[in-house]
Amino acid sequence: MTTDLSAAVETFVQEAREQLEGLEAMLLDLETGTDRDRVDAIFRVLHTVKGSGSMFGFGALARFTHHFEDAFDGVREGRMQIDNRLIDVSLRARDHMTALLDCGGDNPEAARLEASDEAASLLATLAAIMGKGPASAESKSSPARAALPQREVVFRRWSIRFHPDAAALRNGMRPDLLMAELAALGEAEIRLDASELPVLAELDPERSYLAWDIILATAQPRDAIEAIFLFADDAALEITEIFQETQETADTVPTVPTQQPKAQKTAVVPQEPPAARVPQANAGSSENVRVPAGKLDDIMDQLGELVIAQARLHQIAAATKNADLESIVEEVERLVTGLRDATLSVRMLPIESVFGKFRRVVRDLSVELGKDVALAVEGGETELDKTVIDRLSEPLVHMIRNSMDHGLEDAARRQASGKPARGKVTLSARQEGGEVLISIEDDGAGLDTDAICKRAIERGLLAADAQPNPAEIHQMIFAPGFSTASTLSSVSGRGVGMDAVRSAVEALRGQTEIVTVPGRGTRVTLRLPVTLAIIDGFLVRLGQSVFVIPLAAVEECVEFEEAERGRESGRTMLQLREHLVPFLDLDEVFSRPRSTEARRRVVIVKADGQRLGLVVDDILGQNQTVIKTLSIYHRHIAGLAGATILGDGAVALIIDVATLARRARVAQRQIA
Amino acid sequence: MQNTLQARDKPAPAGGPEPEMMLIFRLSGEIFALPVSEVHEILDPMPTTPVPGAPAFAPALINVRGAIAPLIDIRQRLRMQAMPASEQARIIVLELSVNGAATRLAIIADAVEEVIETDRAALKPVPELGARWPEQYVTGVARYGDSLVILLNTDTLFRPDAGPTFQV
Repeated sequence: MTTDLSAAVETFVQEAREQLEGLEAMLLDLETGTDRDRVDAIFRVLHTVKGSGSMFGFGALARFTHHFEDAFDGVREGRMQIDNRLIDVSLRARDHMTALLDCGGDNPEAARLEASDEAASLLATLAAIMGKGPASAESKSSPARAALPQREVVFRRWSIRFHPDAAALRNGMRPDLLMAELAALGEAEIRLDASELPVLAELDPERSYLAWDIILATAQPRDAIEAIFLFADDAALEITEIFQETQETADTVPTVPTQQPKAQKTAVVPQEPPAARVPQANAGSSENVRVPAGKLDDIMDQLGELVIAQARLHQIAAATKNADLESIVEEVERLVTGLRDATLSVRMLPIESVFGKFRRVVRDLSVELGKDVALAVEGGETELDKTVIDRLSEPLVHMIRNSMDHGLEDAARRQASGKPARGKVTLSARQEGGEVLISIEDDGAGLDTDAICKRAIERGLLAADAQPNPAEIHQMIFAPGFSTASTLSSVSGRGVGMDAVRSAVEALRGQTEIVTVPGRGTRVTLRLPVTLAIIDGFLVRLGQSVFVIPLAAVEECVEFEEAERGRESGRTMLQLREHLVPFLDLDEVFSRPRSTEARRRVVIVKADGQRLGLVVDDILGQNQTVIKTLSIYHRHIAGLAGATILGDGAVALIIDVATLARRARVAQRQIA
Repeated sequence: MQNTLQARDKPAPAGGPEPEMMLIFRLSGEIFALPVSEVHEILDPMPTTPVPGAPAFAPALINVRGAIAPLIDIRQRLRMQAMPASEQARIIVLELSVNGAATRLAIIADAVEEVIETDRAALKPVPELGARWPEQYVTGVARYGDSLVILLNTDTLFRPDAGPTFQV
């Protein structure tokens, strides 16, 4: 039972965390406009966290959330307006809820938080916004009560019978917590009904035989009582108001909290039937399965091994020339490919999940920097491997800070140069071939090329008489330690520099690019592979060595014309139908002895928006390539994206086509 | 067979640090020792994949049971001449921390001798041997039979060369 319970608590914490993440976005949405649905959605989240929090031993969280919920109840009822003040305090309150959740339950840490100045200040602010004194902020508002004059508190008495199902304890119900919460509503007289308890010999320790009878005197409305039992739905619950005059007896409600006794004048009809809320809270679990990311990684590792084993099988089968065996191997290969695609797709997440966080970052920074900044997000639905997304979050935050702190000018300077006072940061994502491009663009002042150049010379990154082109200069901001230069206000970072961004992106086998227009703004683009784990590879041979070209980049293969080979070096263009395509001899790229083979081939690849020919000795075919990152000794070699193990156990290097394309472009420029 | 390394001049002081297990191997006519705690396994020679553009110190990759490990030629760091591989050549796979990251790598050895027990405190500092060995890569020398064994400093020996090159 204990393990069941802790698993249930874990699920609660995870779900609550997601709810709170969503809550942040919802609160930020209020800034762009409010409607009934948005407010209701916020109210539902608060209500769910409160209800399930008290159920799973997060009393402090539930108590705090109660006040927060109160405020939104007020908004729902139209008694309160949504303004910036409310959004501010709500965001802070959300953070406080997250902190309480992180405590892991009602422990000293939670108690400390509950008694902290921040909590007090939040409650006071909430109460002030609601136009009440702190004392009455304690009382739950409801339409009926709202009409009453302030401070007139009416106590009513309720008779409650709570009878958990036999399996309730096994399912993680905590009657002790429910009773404690009930007692917190007012004065409660709780009696335990143990009459169903069997003799010890027949007792099943995991079964619940108990029931409770409670007389509660409280100023809270009926739905506050029902809310406590909202998630204790595997129990019979009867709630009856005891009228002072008549002592009217129970109208029994079997599994409340759906029905409302009509006789009660003071009873409040909830805004929506609570029954509708319960499935809402559980909707996620019925259609989706929650899997720890670690398990996905294990599956991926196993799949990698499977792919390698399958490649060996393929090779051996091909050698034996047994048609039956070969057809089975083909079948296995097809299944492995399907399994691979399915597994990869499970790992793919829309980048929106990380973009969403930045709205808060932008909002907080706007306040901190005193700059009015609008954040625009495009292409949030673009999908990326979970690992990539996880590791991108920090570099992106850093880049946004850079854009806002140093890219965007202050309002006065913006207006002086004819721009709107409000700055704009655009975050966008899109897929292009096997890469995902993520851009962060600001409409600020642009990089100060002269200042960067000067600084680079000072730091010895550039020769004093160098004539670098602007693109080369802009790359300088990615040099280690460069951005910490305090004299360079347009690019200097806070703490970590752009080099940290670049190394994070390179660790993901990605690239960074920067485009800046003086006075107009700066755009930094991160090019990232869609997945880190397995790709379709195109095997080519150079001498005795095998290399892998990512198949996604391959467009076609052509014979390498003798005529081309005979030409003087310097001619690096290939006539491909009506187009001229630049080409690179991989022997040259990898400083290998020049090939003497008679029939060579050119693999035409597309990368970085351009076509490029790669000259190889032979084409060996396709395979599934499990990408292994290169060690610290080889990670920085240009033109290599990683290594993989082939069917025969040999190690093959994976060619980084994008880097070669850039190299070809540089070579073209030098010739021109 | 278990020997004990003797410091060249004086015996190991009593109550010194715990003795450490060392793997003794030969390379290009010299004898080296590495802490056994960092040795993962010892393999027979296998095909290697040269890495174009790699430093001479880490020229190739090998497949160690499905994982790819860089093959390190420590002779590059120790200013030794490369020699053709011997009959008893082995690949020693190490697992250690390089720049703070757990790393699996392999080194070439002409022959693996044995595992012995030693006491680091009893080791002589290097300068006595003159400039023969770059001192940052060696923690000490000790007597081993009739000859000397060089204790490698695995902290510095496998550190990659200075920072990444600047890419366009």
